[in-house]
Amino acid sequence: MNTRQDSKDAGSTEQDFLPCLDRRRFLVVGGAGAVTILLGELFPGRVFAQDERRRASVATYPRRKVGSLRDLELHKPVTFYYPYDEPHCSSMLVRLGTAAGGGVGPGQDIVAFSQMCTHQGGLLEGQYQSEYRVLGPCPLHLSTFDLTRHGMIVAAHATENLPQIVLELEGDNIYATGVLGLIYGYSDNRAGH
Amino acid sequence: MADQYVPTDRIPLPPPDAKVYTTACDYCIVGCGYKAYVWPDGKEGGPRAHENALGINFPVPTLSGRWVSPNQHNFCLVNGKKHHVIVKPDADATVVNRGGNHSIRGGCIAQKVYNPDGPTRDRLQRPLLRVRGKLVPVSWDVALGIMADVSKHVLKNHGEAAWGMKTYSYQYFENTYAISKLAFESIQTPAYAPHDKPGPGNDTAGVDDAGIVTFSASNEDWELADVIFISGTDPFETKTVLFTDWMLKGHPNKIIMALPRKSGGAVYAERNGGLFLPVIPGSDAILHLALIRLILENGWEDKEFIEKWIANRWEIDSGFGRGTRNTPWQWRTTWGKLGASYEEYRKWILSYPLAELSKATEMTGIPAEKIRAAAEMIAKPVGGKRPKTSFAFEKGNYWSNNYLNTSSYAVLGLMCGAGNRPGQVISRLGGHQRGWYGAASYPRMFSPQKFPGRRKQEIDLDRWVESGNLRFAYVIGTTWVQAMAASHELADSLRRLTRGNKHQITSLDVSKAARTLKDRVDDGGMVIVHQDIYLRKPIAGEFADLVLPASTWGECDLTRCNGERRLRLYSKFCDPPGEAQPDWWIISQFAQKMGFKDYDWKDSNDVFEKAARSGRKGVLNYHPLVVYAKRLGMRAHELLREMGTRGIQTPVRYRSRITEPRDYQEYVGYYVDPRTSGGIVGTKRLHDHDTDFGDPEGPTVHQKWLSAFKTQSGKALLNKTPWELFSDFYERIQPKGDELWVTNGRINEIWQSLFDDARKPYIMQRWPDNWLEIHPDDAKARGIESGDRVRVESGDVLIQTGGFVGVDGDDLSYTGLKKAGHIRIGKGAFEAVAMVTDAVRSGVVWTNFLYVGVDIGSTANSLVHRVPDPMTNRYRFKLAKGRVHKIGESPYKHSFEKMTFAPRTIKGTVT
Repeated sequence: MNTRQDSKDAGSTEQDFLPCLDRRRFLVVGGAGAVTILLGELFPGRVFAQDERRRASVATYPRRKVGSLRDLELHKPVTFYYPYDEPHCSSMLVRLGTAAGGGVGPGQDIVAFSQMCTHQGGLLEGQYQSEYRVLGPCPLHLSTFDLTRHGMIVAAHATENLPQIVLELEGDNIYATGVLGLIYGYSDNRAGH
Repeated sequence: MADQYVPTDRIPLPPPDAKVYTTACDYCIVGCGYKAYVWPDGKEGGPRAHENALGINFPVPTLSGRWVSPNQHNFCLVNGKKHHVIVKPDADATVVNRGGNHSIRGGCIAQKVYNPDGPTRDRLQRPLLRVRGKLVPVSWDVALGIMADVSKHVLKNHGEAAWGMKTYSYQYFENTYAISKLAFESIQTPAYAPHDKPGPGNDTAGVDDAGIVTFSASNEDWELADVIFISGTDPFETKTVLFTDWMLKGHPNKIIMALPRKSGGAVYAERNGGLFLPVIPGSDAILHLALIRLILENGWEDKEFIEKWIANRWEIDSGFGRGTRNTPWQWRTTWGKLGASYEEYRKWILSYPLAELSKATEMTGIPAEKIRAAAEMIAKPVGGKRPKTSFAFEKGNYWSNNYLNTSSYAVLGLMCGAGNRPGQVISRLGGHQRGWYGAASYPRMFSPQKFPGRRKQEIDLDRWVESGNLRFAYVIGTTWVQAMAASHELADSLRRLTRGNKHQITSLDVSKAARTLKDRVDDGGMVIVHQDIYLRKPIAGEFADLVLPASTWGECDLTRCNGERRLRLYSKFCDPPGEAQPDWWIISQFAQKMGFKDYDWKDSNDVFEKAARSGRKGVLNYHPLVVYAKRLGMRAHELLREMGTRGIQTPVRYRSRITEPRDYQEYVGYYVDPRTSGGIVGTKRLHDHDTDFGDPEGPTVHQKWLSAFKTQSGKALLNKTPWELFSDFYERIQPKGDELWVTNGRINEIWQSLFDDARKPYIMQRWPDNWLEIHPDDAKARGIESGDRVRVESGDVLIQTGGFVGVDGDDLSYTGLKKAGHIRIGKGAFEAVAMVTDAVRSGVVWTNFLYVGVDIGSTANSLVHRVPDPMTNRYRFKLAKGRVHKIGESPYKHSFEKMTFAPRTIKGTVT
C-alpha cells in the first residue's frame, strides 16, 4: 500500500504557505482518498520498531510543497494551510532538533501538525514551546500536545491526538501528503474537497 | 487491552431523525450535561445543517460545542440491533458546562458504551459461579439462590455483623437506595463500608463540626470569588469544567493552591497573580494555623461576620454546639477540649508555638514570604474592601490528617468571612458525584467499635475482615483490595479466607455448592460475591465465588446530583450486555429470596419515587418533585427528563408562587405546569441567609442549614486543633534514611481505577502504565531517568490489628494502640515508570492513586499505613513512604507512540 499520491498540481512556491481563496480550486484538483496503513509503512524508517504495526487511517491529498530543508530554522514554526486553504486547515511545520515520530530530515526532527486544538478548536498558532517540543497550552482551555509523539495529548481535555500532517522529503523540498486524524471542525477531512 | 488507538479522519453524523437523549457524564463530580444521539447502522446524516441532528453546517467553528470527535462515536445495541451512538457535551447547556465544554474523561465517554465488536466486549454478561477454581456461567436464579441460602446461614449462625457489604456510595440514587435498604434496614448489619474508606460516616468531620455542609456552594460561587484558596486538590486536573468554565471565567481572580506537587493548575495560579504553596505531605494543618495567626495578628479577620455568625461560649455549651445527643464524637467536642469562642480561639492560637510563622515554615517547607503573601491575599482589605475569598478542598486535605486538616481549614475560612455568602463559601470540590440515597441510617449501635466514653464508632471493615469476623461479603462496583490501605496485606487476608480455605465448590450441583460455602464460613472462612460491570482482579477474578453482571450508565434510567446538588436524569439509550441487570434489580431479587419486604419495584422510576421519602430532611431532598409529578399524573423520572441537562438543584422546594428572581430560577432549575397550582424550584446555595426562601409550603421542608449553619444555634463553631492529636503517628511515619514520602493523586486523563479507561485505546496510548514523579536530585542519586521502570517498596507499613473498643481517653491514639499491641508491621510495593520532574520537591515522590486497569495494576496503596485517623476512621492515603530503585527501562523510553514525558506543568494564560 502506498500513501504517496503524486500530483501534477503540487504547489511549490512560497505563496503556498499562505491562505489564498483564489488558489483553492487549483489546489484541490486531483484525487483524494483514505487508506488504512501501518505506521511503519507510512513513516518508513522513521518510527521505533515496536510502533511499526500500529494502524492509522490517513487521508491523502494532492502532494504539496510546504517548505525546504534549507529555509527551515530550528524551533521556528512556519504556518501553512493543508489540505485546503481554509481557516480550519491552519497547520505548522517545525524542526524540533530531536527525533520525532513521523519526522523527516536528517535528524528525523521535522514534523507538521494541525494548529486547531482537538478540544474546542482553539488556534494553537504561536504556542510552540521549544524547550519541550510541545504545542500548547491552548489559549482556550490549556490543552497541550507532544510533537515528538504524533501529537499525543500531554495534559488537559482534547479527545484526539493533534492531527499530524504526513511529510515527505524529496531532495531539499518538504512535501505534505496526508493527514493523520480528523481536523477540528470537520466531520470528514475530505469534505473540503 | 490489545486494541490500539487508530486516528481516523471521518465520523458518521447523526441523521436528522436520530433519537436524542439527555444525560450527564458518568464520571467526575462536575457532572457536565451530555446528549446521546442514537440511530440504526446503515444510515448517516450529512454535513449540511438540515442533513444532521446537530443542526449545524460542517466544518463547525471554534467553540461551537458541536464538533464530534472520533472518540465521541461508537456502536451500541438497541433491542439487539446494531446502532450508531454519539455521546457529546450538550452544546445548548446554560449551566455546568455552558455551551458544551468538556473534559477528556467525559469527552471520550462514548467509548464506555458496550459494543460487542469493540474494546468493551469483555463486559460481564452472565452470572458466574466458581467451580473447581473456574468461573462458569449460571442462571440468575441459581446465583441468587446460592447467595440467599448462604446469607441466611451466616445471619442465623454468625450474626448480622458477619454479613457485610463493601459498595460504591455514588452510583445513582436508585442503586444506593437499594443497597442501604438491604444493609441497614433489612439485614441491619454494621459491617458496611463505602468504596473509598474503611467504614461509613463523615469524610470531612472537621468542616462538619464547624456546622458547614460540605457541598453547600454552587459553581457560580467560584466565579464570583475574588480569591480562591484550594487545599489538597487541583480542579484543573480533576474537576475540569469547574476550573475552566467557572474558576477561570471569574478572572481576574486569584487562585492559591496548597499541594505537595506542582500541578498544571498550580502553575496556572502562579502565572496569573495567585500562589502555589508546596506543602510537605501531612503538614497542612500547620499551614492553616500559621495563616489564621497572621490574619489575627494583623487584624484582617472579618469582624462583622464573626460577630454575627460565630458561636460564643454559651452557644457552644448549649448542646455542645451540635446538640447534646447529636454529637457522635462526644470526646472530641465536649469537655472544652476543642470548641472555642472567637476570643478563646484567638487566645489559644496567639500563644500556640506551632502556629508561629517560623515554625510553620520549618514544618510545611513553604517559605515564610509565601505564607505571608497568602494570608494577605485571602484576608487583607484592599482600599477598605475585603476580598471575597472562597475556600475549596478535597482529598489531599482530608486524606492526610483528616480531622486536624478539615477542622483548621474551616476556621481559616470562617475567619475570612466565608461560609454562607455568594463568592464566599467553604466547600468540598468533590470526587464522585453525589449519588447516595440512604433508605435507613447506619446501625451504629450494632457496631463493634466504640470511642472512649460511651459513643459508638462506625466499623473499620478492613480490620474486621483481617480479624476473621466477616464471613460473607457482598461487594458492589468497587476495586476493594487495591483501593484500600496496605492493600497487599489485605489481599493476603482475603486470599487466605477464600481460596485458602479447604471448602471449595467442585460441582455445579446447587445444593452441594451452597453446602460447601456454608462449611467454609463455619470453618472460619469467607464467601465473596462481586457485582460489577467488568471482572475486576483480584476481588472477582480470584477471590469471589459468585460474580454478578451489572448494567450501568446509559443502560437504565437513573438519577443523582452533581457537586452543586444538581439533580438530573441519566437516560437509558442502549442495551446492557447479555443478562446484565441494574444493581437495584439484582438487590431486589436477592432481597425477595431472603424474604425481605417492599423490594418488588417495577422499574427504576418506582425506586426513585419510593426513595424520595427517605431524603426529605436531607440536602439532596427531591420529594417535592415527586409530589408535584404525581399531581400532574406524571412519573417523576419523566418530569426530571423534561428538565434536561439543567435538572434542578436540591433541596427541591415547592412554592405556591415562585418569587425567586428569573436568573436564580434559570440557574437552579424550576418546573411550573399550569395544570396544577404552584411550582417547584431548586436551591442555589446552602447556609444562605440573604435569599428569601419563603415559608415552607406543601411538601417543602426547610432545615436550619438552608439559611444558617448546621449547628444548634445556627452559628458556625470554631474548633482548636492541637497538633498533639496527630504528632505521635506523624513522627512515626516520617521517611528515614533513603526513604521518600510517597504521595498520590489524580489527573485529567484517568478516571479512578481505569475500569473504563483501560478500554479506551486513546487513553491507554497516553497512560499505558502507572508512573512516578521524582525530583531530579532524588532520581540522580538512584540512577533513574525518565522512562526507567522503578520499584517503590516499604517493609514498614503500619497496620492496626485491634483496638475496636476504646475505654480511656488515649486508648485509640497511635501511642495507645502501640502500647496495647494493636500495631503490626507489614509490607508493600508497586512498580511504575519514572518521570523525572521538579514538580515534586526533593524527598517526595508522587504517583497515580489507583492505577489498576484490566489486571491487578500498580498497587500504590499497598504502601499506605492501615491505621485510620482514630477520631474519624479515615485512612491517611496521602502519607505513605518507601524506597525507590530502578529495575530497568520501560518500553516507553523508546517509543513515539505511547506515553510522553513532557511536563504537565507548562501553562499559560487563557484568553
